[in-house]
Amino acid sequence: MSRLERATAFVSKPRIRNLWTLIVIVFFLAFVITPTLFVLTYAFTNWDLIQTEVIQDPEMMSQIWTAIANSFEIAAIVTLIDILVGLPMAWILVRKKFRGKELLDTLIDMPLAVPTAALGFSAAIFWGITPADLTNPLGLKIVSSPFLLIILLHIIFSYPYMVRSLSAILEQIDQTFETAGQTLGASKLTAVRTITLPLFRAGLVTGIILCFARSLSETGGTVAALATVANTDFNTAPTLIDSLKSTPALAFTSIVLIILALVLLVVVAIVVKKLHIPFRKVWPRPEKILSRGLAPRLKDATSVLFLVFIVLIPSFFVFTFVFTSSPSTTTDWSQFGQSLVNSFLIAGVVTVIDLAMGIPLALYIAKNRSKWLPETLDILVNVPLIVPTVALGFSLKLFWTGGTPVSGPFAIFLVMLAHIAFTYPLMVRNVTGAVEEIDPTYEETARTLGAKPIQGFKRVLFPMIKASILAGAIMAFTRSLGETGATRAVSTTVLTAPNYIVNLIKLENDYYAAALACIILIIISYALMLALRYITRRRKGVS
Amino acid sequence: MPEVSLSHITMRFGKVVAVDEVDLTIADGEYVTILGPSGCGKTTLIRVVAGILEPTQGEVRINGKSMRGVPIEERDLGYVFQNIALFPHMTVKANAAYGPTVKDLPMEEREQVAKKYLEMVKLLDKMSMFPSELCGGEQQKASLARALATGAKLLLLDEPLSALDARVRVDLRYELRRIAKSLGLTVVHVTHDQEEAMSVSDRIVVMRAGGIVESGTPEQLYTRPRDVFTANFIGETNLLEGWVKQRLPGKSTIELRDNSLIEVENCDPQVGEAVVVSVRPEFVFPFTDGLLSRIEYLTYMGTYWRVSSRSQSNDMVEFDVPSIEGKLYHPGQEVYLMFNRNAAVVYPRPKEGVTEAVKLE
Repeated sequence: MSRLERATAFVSKPRIRNLWTLIVIVFFLAFVITPTLFVLTYAFTNWDLIQTEVIQDPEMMSQIWTAIANSFEIAAIVTLIDILVGLPMAWILVRKKFRGKELLDTLIDMPLAVPTAALGFSAAIFWGITPADLTNPLGLKIVSSPFLLIILLHIIFSYPYMVRSLSAILEQIDQTFETAGQTLGASKLTAVRTITLPLFRAGLVTGIILCFARSLSETGGTVAALATVANTDFNTAPTLIDSLKSTPALAFTSIVLIILALVLLVVVAIVVKKLHIPFRKVWPRPEKILSRGLAPRLKDATSVLFLVFIVLIPSFFVFTFVFTSSPSTTTDWSQFGQSLVNSFLIAGVVTVIDLAMGIPLALYIAKNRSKWLPETLDILVNVPLIVPTVALGFSLKLFWTGGTPVSGPFAIFLVMLAHIAFTYPLMVRNVTGAVEEIDPTYEETARTLGAKPIQGFKRVLFPMIKASILAGAIMAFTRSLGETGATRAVSTTVLTAPNYIVNLIKLENDYYAAALACIILIIISYALMLALRYITRRRKGVS
Repeated sequence: MPEVSLSHITMRFGKVVAVDEVDLTIADGEYVTILGPSGCGKTTLIRVVAGILEPTQGEVRINGKSMRGVPIEERDLGYVFQNIALFPHMTVKANAAYGPTVKDLPMEEREQVAKKYLEMVKLLDKMSMFPSELCGGEQQKASLARALATGAKLLLLDEPLSALDARVRVDLRYELRRIAKSLGLTVVHVTHDQEEAMSVSDRIVVMRAGGIVESGTPEQLYTRPRDVFTANFIGETNLLEGWVKQRLPGKSTIELRDNSLIEVENCDPQVGEAVVVSVRPEFVFPFTDGLLSRIEYLTYMGTYWRVSSRSQSNDMVEFDVPSIEGKLYHPGQEVYLMFNRNAAVVYPRPKEGVTEAVKLE
């Protein structure tokens, strides 16, 4: 902590702070936003290449469009299912008091910490019909459609995002509204439908965007799952980008993906805000029946069962695999060790840079609301969250190298830059949110008591947002640790742990080693998540 | 016709006992205020009546019908919340029409009922506005209209005026009572404001630490409170300790701690018993002899001056003098004080001590 404090004291000096703010804004524009969206310029500079190599190649075009259509269909279906099962779960978490609630709360976050490459393998051996050399007696082997398999996989890691965003908004909706509705004669269900749900819109937009973007950009898990069921012809947009070799085709797919993602999410935001949830029509009798007795209990039970059987068991099914199959002898574990070192090195450097560059920007945005520059930055900061990471990775590589293959330390450096691009917003979002929640009168009070601005920040604001900074850091760290798509888009030779797992499954068919690697990665990530929960719990205790 | 009866209501939250064995009956058409300091359990009690909380023990009956297991929406009551809780996504009219709407009444009837009650609270001209466009007082009127529009004859008011500005609060008090009486409602009104309780109620129930201290008309509780806690909580009073020296019908003598003697008309405790005498400042007068007291400070109250003095036994004694006589007194001055004989109330000295007995928690 003291090191953080010292760092903060340093960056709080007025002159350094102004200079730093300027550097940070330039950094953000030059290293995050421009590389993320750079691929869009390719359409202008190399349109003839795209024309000849992609648009005039009907086979290529149909492959690209099919993959993009798959991605959007999957994302839409996954988001819809998440909303339907997420709402009752959010209610259980926010409005109910029961023993074991803490446990349920922890269980929901568990898939968040696991790298998706591990989830993809785990879910595939649980649901999928696996090839003969992958012996797995406990797997269900019931899902033959890769489309369905990917939906089931994407639900696992997007579900926590939806539940979290819905719970966050539900916590802010005063329960008195619902109670008031009931005192006016509405049954529980009627009150929820006519009063609480219409107040839900903001949370729904956040939840939809998070889920949709996560599903749209997911690469590692999807590649791992498809490789596990020995699929050869089914592609989502990220897996297609992962397998394409020609730069114009990659650029074209990335451009379409980015534009569609941005457009669609703007549309979603507008549609949900305009969406009219009917509150004038009521069905007193059926809604009354559904409000009491068996129906609500059935709903709660279904929510919990969904969590257990669709989210949790497939996530951790990989553990059974190690016990039921025999170890291979050919695995090169030193490679896995190296990949872990790489992953931690990258995640560590990325987190430190996020901290140094993210906090000043967050402070600048949060404290200068209503000016055009911070407002614009605030909107821009979300862009890398929405752009699929695989397209982001490709775009970034195109920006720095012009698309030539990279390897060695430079490749690792580029991977770090790519990881910074999509983790940076997490840090900025976290800290901005925390600063804005804190009443400015605290700092003003400190000033009236004689503190200089820096002291006011250091002694008053910083202790209050410290937990959010740490939470942002751990989020950035785990996201970097679990990322596959952006890494592979920059270079398939940089061996990160998720990348190693994908290679084991896809290239070497060494499933036992893959499972073991998954388990090790899960345990490490889970330890990190526990740390995160511990810190955020303490934050709640303090406030 | 709604009559509410509570028997042995106990409400525990974990180890905390919020309401302890409360028995209370509210007659049809009665306007009852539950008055008590924060944390006394009054809001918990009204929430139990509404069905928002299920009591740990005891039974609520409305019209003689047990409410055990009956959900809020089937209790047929109106509830007005302290935080107003108008639905922010609906206009004032849609809010008022919510009760009729969830009963699925025909459109015209919803409209008609909503308008009727909005007219009653004089908000008809603002019915197309959203709650956020109204000021606090108007919002609470709208929420009252919304509660009334359910047609309920039992109205529960949970600190309905606490969130409002002082002036609006006073105006709304009269509105509340006027509407309740004109509609013949049974009202349970929870408040911590004794002035509010005095001005609206037929009967006040004083609560403290989860239990009922006593109940009575505002006048009874002001002039002849049965408990020293009530004497201190409702209005302002001087509490002086002493013992009964002589006890005769209609005239008893109490010796105070500084050995001065005062006369009171009614005294229940026996000769020799330790007592507390409660006398309100408006019934204390400067005189040629009596309790010797030194003036510490004067407070201007508009129609009168409140003079705060300290007796030789170090007790604070306050008395009121008319505005024009304010100049006659100044700090440091010594005065003799007399008490109005029939306005003084004598209580046995509480075992836990006077300070403890009148403490608000």
